[in-house]
Amino acid sequence: MVAVELAEVQGLTLAGYAMPVARYVGLAVREAGEAGAARGFLAALAGGDPAVPAVTTAAPWTVKPDCCVNLGITFPGLAALQVPPQVLAGFPAEYAEGAAARATQVGDTGASAPDHWLPWLAGPGPHLLLSLFAQSPEALDSTTRKLEQAWLPGWTELGRRDGNALPGNVAHFGYRDGLSQPTIEDVPPTGLPDHLPRAPLGEFLLGYPSQHAGYTFPVPGPPQLGTNGSFAAFRVLAQDVDGFAEFLTRQAARTGLSDELIAAKLCGRWRNGTPLVLSPDTDTPDPPIPPDALNDFDYVGDYGDERGYRCPIGSHIRRMYPRGQRVAGNGAHLHRIVRRGIPYGPPYDPAHPRDGRERGLLGLFIGVSLRDQFEFLMAHWANDGTFAAGLGRTKDPLLGDHADGTGSFSIPRPEGPLVLDGFSRFVTTRGGAYLFLPSVSGIRYLAELAVTTGGVR
Amino acid sequence: MSEQPQNQPVQNPLTLVMKAKSPQDYTMLRQTIEHLQSLPPEQNPIIVALDKLASVHFARFVFLDPDQLAVITTYDGDFVDYINDFTNELGEVFDRLLAHVADAPPLPVQTYREEFLEFIRARDLPCVGTFYSAYPTCTVLDILDGAAVSH
Repeated sequence: MVAVELAEVQGLTLAGYAMPVARYVGLAVREAGEAGAARGFLAALAGGDPAVPAVTTAAPWTVKPDCCVNLGITFPGLAALQVPPQVLAGFPAEYAEGAAARATQVGDTGASAPDHWLPWLAGPGPHLLLSLFAQSPEALDSTTRKLEQAWLPGWTELGRRDGNALPGNVAHFGYRDGLSQPTIEDVPPTGLPDHLPRAPLGEFLLGYPSQHAGYTFPVPGPPQLGTNGSFAAFRVLAQDVDGFAEFLTRQAARTGLSDELIAAKLCGRWRNGTPLVLSPDTDTPDPPIPPDALNDFDYVGDYGDERGYRCPIGSHIRRMYPRGQRVAGNGAHLHRIVRRGIPYGPPYDPAHPRDGRERGLLGLFIGVSLRDQFEFLMAHWANDGTFAAGLGRTKDPLLGDHADGTGSFSIPRPEGPLVLDGFSRFVTTRGGAYLFLPSVSGIRYLAELAVTTGGVR
Repeated sequence: MSEQPQNQPVQNPLTLVMKAKSPQDYTMLRQTIEHLQSLPPEQNPIIVALDKLASVHFARFVFLDPDQLAVITTYDGDFVDYINDFTNELGEVFDRLLAHVADAPPLPVQTYREEFLEFIRARDLPCVGTFYSAYPTCTVLDILDGAAVSH
C-alpha cells in the first residue's frame, strides 16, 4: 500500500468530475523576463488567495463544487517562468519537444498536421492551459471571470474552447463515452468496476513504482516540483459526423448489415455502451447487462473471443485496451491512459446533415509518460496493426490517420472475414499541447521560484 | 520514437556485440549461456521470456573470438518504443549477462531502462545494405496465428 496525499494531486488525474460544461483556456506569460506577475497567479491557484478559485485536488469532496479548476504547463511555459536550465533538463524529451514537434509520431499528419491547427495551439502555443469543468454555464462563467481578474496582470489569453456534454453522455459519433478507465491502486476507485489488473499509482503519478517491474519513471526536477505530477496530451479532435454517418450507410448497403451493427463492429461496443463481446447480436440483451458491469469483460479465456468473431480485433476499444489478448511485447495491460473527454459543438441532427458546424471532442490523455502511454497507443495500437495477429498495417477505424479512402477494416467471421474499405479520416486533430500537470506543491514551487533567489534555486 | 514507414518490413534485425570484461568474465559468460541453453525449454528463462514477448522471430547467441558475445535476433516493431516491454520480459537475463560485460550500463537494467536502451543502441551493428525478409508483412503473431489456423 502506497500512501498518497490526495490533497496534493490535481483532481482530474484520479477522477472524472462528471460535469456538463467545460472550458479550456490557453495563456502565455505576458513578457519574457517579467515572470513575477505570472507567478503570482500560480500562487493564487495553489490556494494563496481566497478571492481566486484554487486548483481542484483529488481530496474527497464533502460538497461537490460548482466548478473545478485544473492546470497544465507546457515546456515553453516552464522556460517562460524561468525554471532553471538544470531543472528543465530533467524533463522527458518528448514533453520538451512538444505536441507539434511530435505530430508525425501520433498520426497528426495531412489535415491533422500542426500547420492546420487552431492558431492558439499552433506555433509556440500556450504556456499554461487551464481546464474548468462546471455544473452550469453560469458557474463556468463566474469562475472564469474570477480567474481572469487574477491572470490578467501576468498572462495574456491566446484562445479558449468550450465543451458541453451531450444528452445520454454520448460523443458525437453517438457512442456512450468514458466507460473504460483504469482502476488505480491505493486511491479511491471512481470508474466502473472490473476484474482486470489494477494500475499501480506510478503509472499515473510521478514518484511511485510504475507498471513496469522494478521501474519508477524519473521524477523531473526537485521532488517538490515533480512528485505527484503527471503528463498529459491535450487534444482538440474534430469529428466528421457527416462522413461517418455516410460511411455507415454506404457500408450497410454494400454488406447487408445494419448501420448499427457496423457502428458496433467498428467501436467494439454498441452505441449504448453494451460491449460486443458480452452481447454480439443486440444492444439490448435479455437479461440486461447491469450498468456497472459494462466494463467488466475480457476478450480471451472464459470470454472465448480470441478470433474476434464477436468483437473485431481491430475495433477501436480492443485496440485501445486489448485486455488479456496476446499482443507484441506482452504489454496489453501496461500502456493505459486516463481519458478525460467532453464534446464540443452542437448535437448532430441527422435530419439536418451538412450544417457546417464543427463538432468534436476536447480530450486530456493522462499518464506518467507521454512516450510510453499516449504516444505508444497512437503509434502502435491506433495507427498500426502489427501489435496483434492478423491486423497487418491497418489502423483504428475511428481514430486512424487514414489518407482519403485508403483504410480498411476486417470483421472476422468463421466463414471468412468481411472487409470494409474506403475509410477516410473521421477524426482530425485541430490542435494539441503536451502538458505537465504539477502537484499543488509543484505549482507552489513554480510560484515561489525566483522570489527568494532571483531565478535559480 | 522512430517512425517506421509502412512499406518497410515489419521485422527488424538486432546484431548486438558485447565485449567481456576479462578472460574470466568471458568464461563465465560462456558458462552462463551454456547452462541456460541446456535447460528444458519451460525452464530456460530466455525461451520463456521470448515466448511471452511474441515479437522475436529468431534469437541466438554466438561467441566471437577472442572475447565477444553476439546476440543476434530478428524482431517485430520499433525497439525504442518497446524497450519497456522488452526489459520487463528479458531484463533478468540481461542482468546476468551484463554483469560480465565491459562498459555495461548500471544494473539492474529494470531500474535503468534509458541507460540500457542507450547501451544496446550503441552496440547494435548496422546491416550492410538492405535487410532481406522473405515475408516482409508477417509478424510473429501473424505467423503463429496462421499456424494455429492451419493445424
